[in-house]
Amino acid sequence: MTPRWRLWFLVALVIAVAIAAIYLPILRRNIRQAAKLQQRSEEQARRELTQPTVINPGDPRVKAKLFWASGAADGTLAPVTVELPLSSDPVLRSKQVLNTLLAGPVDTEARTLPPDAALLAFYLLPDGTAISDFSEALATSTPSGIESEQMAADSLTKTLEANVPQIRRLKILIHGQEVETLAGHLDLSQPFIVSSNPAPMPRASAPAQVPEQQKLTPVAAPVKLTAPPNQP
Amino acid sequence: MPVTGGAPQAPPTPQPPGLNIVVLDPAHGGTDLGARGTGGIRESDIVLEFAAQVRGALEAQGFQVIQTRQGNANPSFDDRSAMANAQRGAIFVTLHIATTGVAGTARVYVMNDLPLAADSTGLIPWDRAQAPFLSLSRKLGDLVEGNLAQRFKGSPTFAQTASVRQLRTTAAPAIAVEVSSVTVEDRAELDHMAPGVADAIARGAAAFRPSYIVPTNPGERP
Repeated sequence: MTPRWRLWFLVALVIAVAIAAIYLPILRRNIRQAAKLQQRSEEQARRELTQPTVINPGDPRVKAKLFWASGAADGTLAPVTVELPLSSDPVLRSKQVLNTLLAGPVDTEARTLPPDAALLAFYLLPDGTAISDFSEALATSTPSGIESEQMAADSLTKTLEANVPQIRRLKILIHGQEVETLAGHLDLSQPFIVSSNPAPMPRASAPAQVPEQQKLTPVAAPVKLTAPPNQP
Repeated sequence: MPVTGGAPQAPPTPQPPGLNIVVLDPAHGGTDLGARGTGGIRESDIVLEFAAQVRGALEAQGFQVIQTRQGNANPSFDDRSAMANAQRGAIFVTLHIATTGVAGTARVYVMNDLPLAADSTGLIPWDRAQAPFLSLSRKLGDLVEGNLAQRFKGSPTFAQTASVRQLRTTAAPAIAVEVSSVTVEDRAELDHMAPGVADAIARGAAAFRPSYIVPTNPGERP
């Protein structure tokens, strides 16, 4: 190889290395994003399979208050206003707000419940006791600890208190079973107080009728989440 | 039979003993590892090491310490509560390491409100044994948390309430101390906290001692 060709070869090599140095971080970022998207779509698919209710476009859109982590270091919650079509039936309404709570806030750091947890069933007894049955992931994926487990329970009870005034207390089941603790600390054998002064039950206690074609409407219907207000 | 002269002397009235026992509960154990950090830190191991230091600090304050577990056992929640409920004049401290929270802080929890069961027997129902002790637990919790806040900046000033399973069935002034967190990269960060946590618990318990009038019989209402 002549010195001239050697020079060209070296120049080409330097250019190739420079291009690779620029392109590699971009490629790595794209791969990470693709993995995240796949993970999200898997979560979404699971949620759609397990939560075949309950957004009914015919319901009036109201401003619901959902409680997620405030972002402060002290483990407090903050209300976030979300505009949702909410049923007047307390059972459907509870499912609607809890499913939106499970779907999580825009800021994933403010999440209080595991992304893979799902609400399997929800019942409301005439005395105002609500029974919510969650998938196994609520117990296995909630970070273990008194603070994190209490935050998870508080986000459920405060959200129900703010949006479903008929509920007096909340009993949490995991996959249909009564369990002693959420993730090793928080007591799930007793119901949580939601409201000491609940509103009376509506007269027609039968669940509201949902048109057949809407029963499989996933909760993935777009909801508009607003940023958390600047309050503790 | 010995004969004694003069009128028989009345036996001295037994004075109720003061608070002198601390039941110390390193949480989890056995197959229950508790919170786990990505660096392999396990709550069940760390609390056992914390307990050794807390025990030393309490004994230096003149307390007798009963531990709910010494090694890698995992007594049930009820078995752990039973160790405290069988004592007269004990307080109960359960130790935890959290997954969350700002590393280097520590929080004290007391049981949130439990309705008092109305019964005529004077006995305390097991499933809400903590109910009559709530105000005493809060006082103990505030004393310990005040000491923790002086040592670990960013910790709360007062005890917080939570529905802690272990506390509900304990018929004694009872607190949970939770240190953050298992997510630290270097386990030494937690090890460095242990003497401060131990000292804060011991000082809080000592300050609480005069305010606790011990029930006459184990399991009685305070």
